[in-house]
Amino acid sequence: MELEFESKYEINRTAEFIISKSFTRIALQFPDELLKDSTKVVSALKSKTRLLTDREVRFFVMADTTYGSCCIDEVGALHIDSECVVHYGQTCLSPTSVLPAFFVFGKASINVSSCVKHLIDYASKSDKPIMILYGLEYAHVIPQIREELGLSKTDSQLSVANVLCSFISPSKDPRESMEHPRPYSESDSSDSLSSSRSYRLGGLTWDLPEGSKIEDYLLFWIGSDSSAFANVVLTFNGCDIVRYDAEEDSLVTEFYQQRRILKRRYYLVEKAKDANIIGILVGTLGVAGYLHMIHHMQALISAAGKKSYILAMGRPNPAKLANFPECDVFIYISCAQTALLDSKEFMSPVITPFEANLAFSRGSEWTGAYLMHFQDVINSVKSESEAHIGSEEPRFSFFQGGYVEDHKTNDQAKNGEEDTGETMTLVQAAEKALQLRGNDHNSLTKQTAAKSGPEYFLNRVYRGLEINSENTLPEPYIVGRSGKASGYKHE
Amino acid sequence: MVKFTADELRRIMDYKHNIRNMSVIAHVDHGKSTLTDSLVAAAGIIAQEVAGDVRMTDTRADEAERGITIKSTGISLYYEMTDESLKSFTGARDGNEYLINLIDSPGHVDFSSEVTAALRITDGALVVVDCIEGVCVQTETVLRQALGERIRPVLTVNKMDRCFLELQVDGEEAYQTFSRVIENANVIMATYEDPLLGDVQVYPEKGTVAFSAGLHGWAFTLTNFAKMYASKFGVVESKMMERLWGENFFDPATRKWSGKNTGSPTCKRGFVQFCYEPIKQIIATCMNDQKDKLWPMLAKLGVSMKNDEKELMGKPLMKRVMQTWLPASTALLEMMIFHLPSPHTAQRYRVENLYEGPLDDQYANAIRNCDPNGPLMLYVSKMIPASDKGRFFAFGRVFAGKVSTGMKVRIMGPNYIPGEKKDLYTKSVQRTVIWMGKRQETVEDVPCGNTVAMVGLDQFITKNATLTNEKEVDAHPIRAMKFSVSPVVRVAVQCKVASDLPKLVEGLKRLAKSDPMVVCTMEESGEHIVAGAGELHLEICLKDLQDDFMGGAEIIKSDPVVSFRETVCDRSTRTVMSKSPNKHNRLYMEARPMEEGLAEAIDDGRIGPRDDPKIRSKILAEEFGWDKDLAKKIWAFGPETTGPNMVVDMCKGVQYLNEIKDSVVAGFQWASKEGPLAEENMRGICFEVCDVVLHSDAIHRGGGQVIPTARRVIYASQITAKPRLLEPVYMVEIQAPEGALGGIYSVLNQKRGHVFEEMQRPGTPLYNIKAYLPVVESFGFSSQLRAATSGQAFPQCVFDHWEMMSSDPLEPGTQASVLVADIRKRKGLKEAMTPLSEFEDKL
Repeated sequence: MELEFESKYEINRTAEFIISKSFTRIALQFPDELLKDSTKVVSALKSKTRLLTDREVRFFVMADTTYGSCCIDEVGALHIDSECVVHYGQTCLSPTSVLPAFFVFGKASINVSSCVKHLIDYASKSDKPIMILYGLEYAHVIPQIREELGLSKTDSQLSVANVLCSFISPSKDPRESMEHPRPYSESDSSDSLSSSRSYRLGGLTWDLPEGSKIEDYLLFWIGSDSSAFANVVLTFNGCDIVRYDAEEDSLVTEFYQQRRILKRRYYLVEKAKDANIIGILVGTLGVAGYLHMIHHMQALISAAGKKSYILAMGRPNPAKLANFPECDVFIYISCAQTALLDSKEFMSPVITPFEANLAFSRGSEWTGAYLMHFQDVINSVKSESEAHIGSEEPRFSFFQGGYVEDHKTNDQAKNGEEDTGETMTLVQAAEKALQLRGNDHNSLTKQTAAKSGPEYFLNRVYRGLEINSENTLPEPYIVGRSGKASGYKHE
Repeated sequence: MVKFTADELRRIMDYKHNIRNMSVIAHVDHGKSTLTDSLVAAAGIIAQEVAGDVRMTDTRADEAERGITIKSTGISLYYEMTDESLKSFTGARDGNEYLINLIDSPGHVDFSSEVTAALRITDGALVVVDCIEGVCVQTETVLRQALGERIRPVLTVNKMDRCFLELQVDGEEAYQTFSRVIENANVIMATYEDPLLGDVQVYPEKGTVAFSAGLHGWAFTLTNFAKMYASKFGVVESKMMERLWGENFFDPATRKWSGKNTGSPTCKRGFVQFCYEPIKQIIATCMNDQKDKLWPMLAKLGVSMKNDEKELMGKPLMKRVMQTWLPASTALLEMMIFHLPSPHTAQRYRVENLYEGPLDDQYANAIRNCDPNGPLMLYVSKMIPASDKGRFFAFGRVFAGKVSTGMKVRIMGPNYIPGEKKDLYTKSVQRTVIWMGKRQETVEDVPCGNTVAMVGLDQFITKNATLTNEKEVDAHPIRAMKFSVSPVVRVAVQCKVASDLPKLVEGLKRLAKSDPMVVCTMEESGEHIVAGAGELHLEICLKDLQDDFMGGAEIIKSDPVVSFRETVCDRSTRTVMSKSPNKHNRLYMEARPMEEGLAEAIDDGRIGPRDDPKIRSKILAEEFGWDKDLAKKIWAFGPETTGPNMVVDMCKGVQYLNEIKDSVVAGFQWASKEGPLAEENMRGICFEVCDVVLHSDAIHRGGGQVIPTARRVIYASQITAKPRLLEPVYMVEIQAPEGALGGIYSVLNQKRGHVFEEMQRPGTPLYNIKAYLPVVESFGFSSQLRAATSGQAFPQCVFDHWEMMSSDPLEPGTQASVLVADIRKRKGLKEAMTPLSEFEDKL
């Protein structure tokens, strides 16, 4: 029992890591479902480190993070002035910006021989080479699977992706830190890129030999139907994908639902094109490059002649977003695995920065390619912006069934000052407010779609306190409700 | 050989009194395109011999193949009239040259949007009616549309040749048929009479009715014969004309006219005696090749034939003889020139219908006077695909001013609001073009009163627009067209090869331009949807999309999809309540069906959000029995702020209520767009806000709390009010002989249709059947009907109304619940409906 626990939480490895880097203040980050084990982990680590060093090592448990539990909560860790974060459970392995992080993926149980049998069965039916990808919780059995398959590294029919690494340290240069850290094994051969293409996704990395495309491969996923898997399906939507479910011990080949997601995302992009006011939801303060991404999005939106507002919001839900009804669409900047929100229940759609890129830069088209990581998104823009020539033709909107002119406020944006834009809108709005509007406040029409927050609020029926000028006497004292919201006392 | 040049044409364009803009309208298969041919032939664009077979205006391959017109086509024709023929013309004119801008339009109901577009830019209409089939549904529809646009009609009774050759009816019977046809047309016209347009009925004795045989290229009005006989009888032409129609009989034995049939065997009606019989005789002589008898007869009529033509035999001979004697073009042109208004005349009364702005501003005046020196007012009514792929001509009518090559114009789109920048572009016209048959000719400029095609604007106009001079910033746009059909049939399209998606998007954009009616949208699931008026329309659209607009890239289309509506058939069984996410706010609501006719009134725009609240409450109180005060408490219409559902405030003395109004309305707009059954639009539901309990702290009753709650409570109230689905229903009109009736009934029965009217056409063996047919069942209906009646029946389907499906969608196993499950599956939703308990909360 004790052994199993130790191996599950990799107590030894963690302790060695801490000692080797000689950290003394460690933050341990647990997702909600592992929180129950946190005290045990701390005491195990404490006793382990005490054996290895005489310095006092202090551990802090972090729970209920503001943003997604797959990301490192750097801000939380910095509150206790820790030098390093140890992260347990499901992770997106997003690069960090300040603190080094050590990841314990956990070990899910799997029937290795059965998995291999399924794999071989399936491989014999297909003539495509197979690329094996997996959820990180199954990383521990990969050497075993390799062994059972009798794989050599050069076999082109079957290849297995590597885990990036279980340790991330931020780089000094913020630009560079957005690059994914190199995997351990290849850290010294970074120029190997030139001969082959390497792919990275959700903490996995793999290289394809020169001349072959990922579309030629059959992707074999070991693990559950998690958001990591959804990312794989979206990103490699041109590939055949098979999933081996370790719990059910069965193969899943039908991904109708996942394919629908892609089309749904396409719809959201088209929808976003019609938006006038965009809310940028900052859903991470840890993932490296998030600030850069926010600036990039702001620039993109103002270049498209639209208005943006920045909102810091972890774990968005319909009620939170409905507090900003003026926003036609939200861009959710967060790590890759939490970014895909099914916004069906939301009043306005929530899209990823990549989708925002498609929607707001004229001339870019939905090609089916899908990118999740900030770095990829920004790179793709760079290559695109040169190719993009401003066509005069206005945009065709599928929702309005006609041409839509996106109002260019370029000249304003170019002047640099965000404030000028802001004050201008206010001035314009104020001008409109002073217009004679007719006294039919019962008119039920909404004027044309608002271009900015102030304009939106002008269209509202209720605009704040209503001063009843006839009645200057103070209101009499009234006894309010008492009791709980589920049933007040008078009810 | 074309008998005129572009320069000549351009010259007459300045004589606004000598221009006639007219469209040819009729029921499908009554011979519009064939008749148009004769006119085109007379202008020398096609050879006289082939007129009637070429169908000049059917320029598309599929039009030729199916023998129906799909797109309306415009042609500018030039005629020089003789002084002789114009001597009785009393209107204003400049010389003898005339320019006819003619637009041939489709007759099939699926394409009636093309007719609407054609009518907008013309002033007169030539209504073609088959002399045997008479006035049909589509005749009525297009006539109604024409009169609505203040288009003056003239009538031609077509397919006369059928009387002589096929049916061999005698004179009196033929007269009765014709007069019934004319009467029927007049009945319709009288219903839509308009004081400004004056009497629009047609009278043969006034020359506003022609009799034609488009296939053989001949036609006459009573004027032709009156001229011929006037001198013989020594009376004036107009007197003679009156005698040739109506209850006027002539007995050659006594050489006397009388007001009724004297009973003597030689006494015949004037029309029969002097018009019908001579034609019948000539045709019979030709057909029997009795040339020895023919030549003297022709000589008597003053018809001379060329030598090579004398060699012809039988039908070709007859055709040639008739064309020489009674050329269709002369009769029809005279009728058009004499009786249809010039732009100058027409725009005087049409300006009210056309211009949206104040009727006394300079733009209205310029339109009214058809002033070539006024500001430009041009309406683009449709986009015509150009020969270079993907580009379009903007085709329209200049109502005032002049449009010229290189001119900078202001383009006001359909959503333009004066004073705002939305949907407004300033671009220059690259070229102005006129159509001469199949050729396009570039001209320097085009003055008002004419139709014109422009190059270089297609990237800024989707379907239609108003153009004006760059500097005319005060101009209001010309009123948008109202279509008589709506796009109810939809298919989802996707490309076979995923990487063709950009091509599909581009193709859909072009498709949306090329057709006034087609709607290209997108579903929540990310599928592209093409919606059209009917099966045939969609078929043509998709063919165009694939072949012309996507360069042949293959597409996959789904089965036709019909959109449904969600409604309720009773008041909610109880007041339902939902709590906000923080549990501190509660909304209480009830749903009830709207009064009958109210949803339609909202659809028609009689009641809407833009109305004056006083007028609105008056209509609601008087017609729908609403309480006067209640009518003032309507919070919103939805979806899209104009739809046929409402939220009404029924609360009494609730604090902070106006604070949450915006949030409730937002939730309502959202919910009414996607109902709880299958996420279809709602229709005909009135939601009553019964009570609200709100947190006293404003931060806890913000939009975030109220909007999702409003949506949930609306759903809950709908589910408790016996929700039902509404399905769209076509009205089908079928014309068939008695023998085919059995087949028609059995097909209709199979398809859940029901007949509500069956009527024999007086004087014909044909029956007219009117039936309701659910749109869902209409796919393949046409072909099944044809099979069951061996091709004798041809249906015309027009969307008519929404009908409630009686079965309960909440009860498993019913037809409605199966349907709901299907829709949900197609949309990628959870197959089971969200249960009421998800929306309703308990205290």
